[in-house]
Amino acid sequence: MREVAVVSFAQSPCVPADREHDMAEILLPVLRRALDSCGLTRDEIGFVASGSHDFYEGRTFSSIESLDAVGAWPPIRQSHVEMDAAWAFAEAWTWLQTSKIKTSVVYAVGRSSLVSDLDQVLPAQLDPYLLAPLRPHRHALAGLQAAAMVDAGLTSERQMAEVVSRCLATAAANPNALRGGVRTGKENDAPFVASPLRAHDVAPPGDAAAVIVLAAGDAARRPTGRPAWVRGLDHRMETHYPGARDLTRSISVGLAAARAAEQAGFGAADVDVAELHTEYSHQEPLLVAALGLEKTVINPSGGPLAGHPATATGLIRIGEAARQIMDGTAERALAHATNGPALQHNLICLMAGEPR
Amino acid sequence: MSEPLAVIGIGQSVQAKRREVTIGALVREAVDAALADAELGFADIDAVVLSKTPDLFDGVMNPELYLADAMGAVGLPVTRVFTGGSVGGHAAIFGAHLVAAGLARRVLVVAYSKESEGNFTWALSRGLPFSSHLGAGAGGHFAPVIREYIRRARAPEHIGWKVAVNHRRNAARNPYAHLRDADLTVEQVRDSRMLWDPIRYLESCPSSDGSCAIVVSGAAAARRAPRPPAWIHGMAFRTETGHAAGRDEVNPLAGRECAADAYRQAGITDPAREIDVAELYVPYSWYEPMWLENTGLAAEHDGWRLVDADRTAFGGDLPVNPSGGVLAGNPTGATGLLRFAEAALQVRGLAGEHQVPGARRAAGHAMGGASQFHAFWVVGSEVPG
Amino acid sequence: MTLPEPVETMASPLRMEYTFVAGTGRSVFLRGLARRQLLARRCPGCRMVYAPAPAFCSGCLLPTGPPFALSGRGEVATFCVVNFPFPGQVHQPPYVVAHIRLDGADTRLQHLVREIAPELVRIGLPVEPVWVDDAELDTSTTSIRWFRPIREPIGPADA
Repeated sequence: MREVAVVSFAQSPCVPADREHDMAEILLPVLRRALDSCGLTRDEIGFVASGSHDFYEGRTFSSIESLDAVGAWPPIRQSHVEMDAAWAFAEAWTWLQTSKIKTSVVYAVGRSSLVSDLDQVLPAQLDPYLLAPLRPHRHALAGLQAAAMVDAGLTSERQMAEVVSRCLATAAANPNALRGGVRTGKENDAPFVASPLRAHDVAPPGDAAAVIVLAAGDAARRPTGRPAWVRGLDHRMETHYPGARDLTRSISVGLAAARAAEQAGFGAADVDVAELHTEYSHQEPLLVAALGLEKTVINPSGGPLAGHPATATGLIRIGEAARQIMDGTAERALAHATNGPALQHNLICLMAGEPR
Repeated sequence: MSEPLAVIGIGQSVQAKRREVTIGALVREAVDAALADAELGFADIDAVVLSKTPDLFDGVMNPELYLADAMGAVGLPVTRVFTGGSVGGHAAIFGAHLVAAGLARRVLVVAYSKESEGNFTWALSRGLPFSSHLGAGAGGHFAPVIREYIRRARAPEHIGWKVAVNHRRNAARNPYAHLRDADLTVEQVRDSRMLWDPIRYLESCPSSDGSCAIVVSGAAAARRAPRPPAWIHGMAFRTETGHAAGRDEVNPLAGRECAADAYRQAGITDPAREIDVAELYVPYSWYEPMWLENTGLAAEHDGWRLVDADRTAFGGDLPVNPSGGVLAGNPTGATGLLRFAEAALQVRGLAGEHQVPGARRAAGHAMGGASQFHAFWVVGSEVPG
Repeated sequence: MTLPEPVETMASPLRMEYTFVAGTGRSVFLRGLARRQLLARRCPGCRMVYAPAPAFCSGCLLPTGPPFALSGRGEVATFCVVNFPFPGQVHQPPYVVAHIRLDGADTRLQHLVREIAPELVRIGLPVEPVWVDDAELDTSTTSIRWFRPIREPIGPADA
């Protein structure tokens, strides 16, 4: 097996709604920046993987449009997951370890803004016979989870508000954040969107593209900078039925983290920094507990609470965690990505400044 | 590939309009059959890859979430791949990569579509400023490309009818096929309704519900498998942009490079002679000669001559789609994986009544989008190397 | 145990509304259509002319050059005849859907060919656009009603 590393990460600023550019136009400048910063040209890229979802675009095969920015002519090796692009990252990482291919581009064009009303769309993720017909609104299941957390004494509205305040304060230094800055302190007077969740507890949807360049073996050891070696990666699925799960904890995060730690030679508790895919504030204490991150810096980018370009959000967590290693801030970092209601499906990626 | 990889279990559902089962139950039919074939249980599976065409077709978003329980995927890594109609091929190849990378000993690759639960017209009618009013449908996209092929290759019109007869008759030997007709004649195809001239009704694929699943493993698990494995000799995928000026949709470069890559890995230099049977993605009859040429199984403009000489019919020297292929059943999300799986069944000697005698090397082919996405594998009865 | 009669259908209608973003590249073409112009752009790298043109060439990834108007004339590169009715259909079958190679462009535009019997359409048929009235002009390919033959074709369809 070859060692594989993140050698570049670029992202466009997360904006509430980009009404000017199509998918390819959003992606192209980000792709250029990602390649330029690691000194690669598109001809040197062996594999392109991406993630997106038609339900955010409102048309079938929407991912095809983004290929115009990749330069799929002459033909390329390419694959696509209809998921968050963190899973495309997993696919590229998998193949790079065993093939002759040296480099891979992983990208996401996250567009949450095209949907007029996410309440119309997100219930479609549920069992089409028993749950989807109930049409719970987009925050309903997260609200159940948050309420269960509060009931169990695992978090409080006050702690949730503090999570939001901390994330938005650090997001003020992130030029790609959709929102950030000092809070008024009156957020907990706002009405509930799904008790105990208030508007500020929810990641604001937006549009952004993100690109990660992966390289294997010697191709990663370039003079252009310090790579972030992917030491372990795993993801796990839970049962679909929220009523069958203990929503206050995450079995799948624990499973994925344990498996990733076996591969990495170090565990979640050993990392300096963690980027967590928290679309709701209450999910931070849940994930921190599941991963044992008591002393870790959490979401220095501001995290999804500072901007959530759906299907790019997870990939950006990996990119932001890798950035911490690439710029020398951290020796070891963890990234988490999720999909599905109340954290049904979770991915854990462990990275370090040194290969195995 | 370092360690040899193999398919050790294959399952599929009956393809039809399956109103009596849920999506989950439809998927479970194939999963159970694949595990039974490999004599494995869910505990033996380390990862699941799900193949499916657009979620707008049946209205279930991220179906890997809802299907987690039906696929036995709770507690496992699950990846949902989607590249267009070629997706089943991509999923199988990703499953093989997971084993090759040592991330899983056995991967369950699952594919399905339940077309009867959604409304295609709704899913494919986009209120956009481009060609929204042409209302031509999928056949309307492919028919002009077929016309161009016919003109370039100077092919006689009966070729399309003949392919349709071959595939639907083959399907009569396949208990899982949606449309089976052992007695179909060239005259019946010729006289069937013209849909998208030059495509006639009996030259078109149906819309089906159906599922397919395979178990991919490494050599050690394959050698312990209760039934013969299908060894993977070569596998590749290629994509080309649909919008580049000058691209040729009749004989797309991505398809040529994709098959050539797989042959190279398999050490095949003369595909037409070294491949015993091919399962090609033929949604409209004329795509058999087109893909024969595109995948290097026939010289350019000569694909139709193989059809004309009965060489691709069931008893010919290069049988194409002994299962009946897409023309006999098209659950779009599973269609690509079915081609890969049927190729594997042939070299395992387990294809039942549609077994091509003595098949030792077979090609599985999948195509998607406007012929932008291509996936291809060569499987064999012998360990590669 | 006697099981109940299976439920074979249930209605679960989804209604989802979206904003379509045409993009800066396609917007140039769509704005042109609203002025009865077919605007093309050339890639400075491969010299290929796109109509409609993306903001950049999908082969070379270079920004396409300034827009210029094509005559609108072209020829049928290939076509099919839609011969059967289906739900939501706008036009009465049979009708011809063609890939039209506009003079001066290296891409093809899909559109209708009318004002000719379908059986007389052939590959290579010279065609020109028939634009809608001023009041109907829009930033859409519907600004072109259809394409029609420039002159009478010679001989029957050959493919």
